[in-house]
Amino acid sequence: MPQDMPPTGGYAQVQYKRNLPARGFKPWVYMVGMHAIMAYGFYRYFGGVREQRELAREKMWARLYLTPLLQAEEDRDQVRRYYADKARANELFGDDQKVYNSDRFVRPTFAYTPGKLTQ
Amino acid sequence: MAQRDPMFNQQVLVDTTPMPDHIPKVEEVGATSAPLFSAAYFIGDRCKAFNDDYMKCKEDANGRGEIECLKEGRKVTRCAASVIKDINTHCLSQFKAHWDCLENNNHYLFECRKPEQELNSCVFEKLGLKKTIPGAPEHEVPVHQRPKQKYAQYPGRQF
Repeated sequence: MPQDMPPTGGYAQVQYKRNLPARGFKPWVYMVGMHAIMAYGFYRYFGGVREQRELAREKMWARLYLTPLLQAEEDRDQVRRYYADKARANELFGDDQKVYNSDRFVRPTFAYTPGKLTQ
Repeated sequence: MAQRDPMFNQQVLVDTTPMPDHIPKVEEVGATSAPLFSAAYFIGDRCKAFNDDYMKCKEDANGRGEIECLKEGRKVTRCAASVIKDINTHCLSQFKAHWDCLENNNHYLFECRKPEQELNSCVFEKLGLKKTIPGAPEHEVPVHQRPKQKYAQYPGRQF
């Protein structure tokens, strides 16, 4: 009986490597792309933040310029009420009564409601 | 069941006693929020000295500013009223367009750059008052002169 020999021309190649085709771009392309997108996003974001800051500054100064005017009007109204209260107190008690032991201006706790108007 | 008639009696809560005679009278400005906001920078430009004077007086009065600073307060009100009056006589249409726009846009200045530009140029020509924002960075265009406003509903050019 003759010995079992390899086939003429040798055995066929045994495929031991996996054959996975590389899909998509090179990895560094994704890396660079991600950073580009992030950089653009940050650029837009900080642009918006700067504009917001300037808009806030604009609004703040507009209010700062109006504050003395509004405060003056309010103070005048408070002083008017203060003298009216004082006049009423003088009429009731006869002399100048000091309610607080301080010469600061104190906004009244209780508001005067004229009774004669409700009918 | 007890029934109470609906009754509006807020007006009763107002103390209508006039100011005593020894304090000089001054007419209040009487403008609502939008015209005041629109004219704020012009008021600030012309009345800065009076405003600062008044605030200084209030600070130095140590809690008695309401009564002691009435004189400065009257100056502030008269100055602001003069600015409003001047704008009304010279730039009424632009002024009205701007504060109408502010009222319709939640007082957002950045929605109303076109009417604001027209108002600013008119006021600068006629009255010489200029809108400048203190503390804004010098090397870039001030925000109220940029044609594009990023936060406006329409982000393109407004003028």
